[in-house]
Amino acid sequence: MDVSLLLTNLLYGITIGSALILIASGLSLTFGVMGVLNFAHGGLCMLGAYFGYTLVQISGNFWLAMILAPLIVAFIGFLMESFTIRPLYGLNPLYQLLLTVGLAMIIANTVLLVWGGDQLSIILPDYFKGYVTFLGIFYPRFRLFVLFFSATVAIILWITIRRSKWGIVIRAGMHDLETVNAFGINIFRVFSIVFSIGAGLAALAGVIIGSMRVLNPEMDFELLTSALLVVVIGGMGSFRGAVVGSLLLGITEAFGAQFFTGAAKFSVWALMVIVLLFRPEGLLKED
Amino acid sequence: MKRIIPALILLALLVAFPWGAEIFYSGFYVSLLTRIFIFAIIVVGFDLLAGYTGMVSYGHALFFGTGAYLTGMLLKNWTPWFWPPIVITLLASGVVAYIIGYLSIRTRHIYFVFLTFAFAQFFFVTANSWNFIGASNGLSAIPKPFILPGLNLSGENSFYYFSLASLFIGYLLARRITCSAFGKIMIGVRENEERTLFLGYNTKKVILRVFIISGIYGGFAGALMAAFNSFVSPSLYHPAVSGEIIIMALLGGMGTLVGPIIGSGLVIILGDILSSWLAESWMMILGAAFALVILFSPGGMMALGRKINNLIKRG
Repeated sequence: MDVSLLLTNLLYGITIGSALILIASGLSLTFGVMGVLNFAHGGLCMLGAYFGYTLVQISGNFWLAMILAPLIVAFIGFLMESFTIRPLYGLNPLYQLLLTVGLAMIIANTVLLVWGGDQLSIILPDYFKGYVTFLGIFYPRFRLFVLFFSATVAIILWITIRRSKWGIVIRAGMHDLETVNAFGINIFRVFSIVFSIGAGLAALAGVIIGSMRVLNPEMDFELLTSALLVVVIGGMGSFRGAVVGSLLLGITEAFGAQFFTGAAKFSVWALMVIVLLFRPEGLLKED
Repeated sequence: MKRIIPALILLALLVAFPWGAEIFYSGFYVSLLTRIFIFAIIVVGFDLLAGYTGMVSYGHALFFGTGAYLTGMLLKNWTPWFWPPIVITLLASGVVAYIIGYLSIRTRHIYFVFLTFAFAQFFFVTANSWNFIGASNGLSAIPKPFILPGLNLSGENSFYYFSLASLFIGYLLARRITCSAFGKIMIGVRENEERTLFLGYNTKKVILRVFIISGIYGGFAGALMAAFNSFVSPSLYHPAVSGEIIIMALLGGMGTLVGPIIGSGLVIILGDILSSWLAESWMMILGAAFALVILFSPGGMMALGRKINNLIKRG
């Protein structure tokens, strides 16, 4: 095993991990603020990927897909939150969770009906094709773009949560919703916004991951599983946890593929079991 | 006594049902009912865990699939008899449930739901990629097992009776558990775990035990499914199966044992009717129906179950 291979794996792991941040942070924030674990999150991701595919097919413009698909899915998320999840606040959170299971089924089968069960791939612009050479390794250009793009989005998100007024509201909401409400902030609006942003980020990640791999109607549960593992490993309701968990998961998967061919996926569960045994609440608890 | 008579009538009707096949209705309905019985077994097991102990698992398909694969492999490669694979499957399901339960019951509520989901996904991915058990093709041509010398479960009717008897025994055992002192502790855990703990009961042990029992029910149902279909595919592990199990229990009414059996019937019959029109996408309708029930009568699902129970009681 030489250094360049090691470096390629590490870079690939970080790339996957950074895309995962976009999915996991939405899932984690929704849970942290609203107490809703959204099992339809993978479905939203998949919707983003398929909308992206169709938009690229129609317009031929990759960037249009990157902008419009997340906006459409964020709107769908907004509708989902307002009409299905909101009526259930205050009830046992299991009901909301089971509701999202139902929504996930609806999304999965809608995708199957509309786009069919075949594998599809998003056509990339020419400048994303080919490889980049640096430090003695070949790396696909698009993956490098994914790495920088996702990292940028994640950093913007981080700064928003840490520094902006909305971020303060969101963090406060994680600790004590009632007090936030008492300060005259409409928490239902906060919920709507957090949920929509989570959905939009998931869709963005869907477009990116869909372009990196392929689209199929099974990808929703695959992505949801990864995001859930991230959240278990990193700790629920924590943005930092989502970042740490995502990177750890991405790197584990990349190196797992290298060392135990065919068992790449399992290394991730092994990681989860280890974390569960020693830190059942995840590596990082709430911020 | 009032409840026993209608129950006996229902049982007698079910026992007599195959005699009317091919005369009054097609033999297809016998196999449809068989499928309902098999699913009802796993849903009854699920109800012990979710309905009585309050621990909703979104990964019950993992027991279903594990039981099916294990029995399928044993029937294919080892013995034509049904009993040894069943015993091994029951033991193995218990062990699997112990390991997964040990790891997942450190958490509660929502965390428990997604941990069980994550573990089930592990099995789904494994089954899809492990060549030894046929990878994504699954196992096919599983021979019909013998249960007595000269009696193999090849006919529709023999399988019907075998599953009916299994469900009946499974239901009685579950009832025995829920009516026992242990059953009361289970309900105590559901209603207020802390208080039950303070009363001196080791609630973790209780939950783990119920999880194991529930897993054994699931493994057994899987074993039946493998022999019934003569075919096992990784889709048995799919989260949609776990979802279906939850829906069956919820639609019928959790924590009632009878409800889940009715729920299994409702969902399978509904699925059968809808899938003849809509092919694969009937799950969409099921998802929508599920969402609507939760939205418009979130507390009322139990009530729905109770209403159905009342209807049955009235006979």
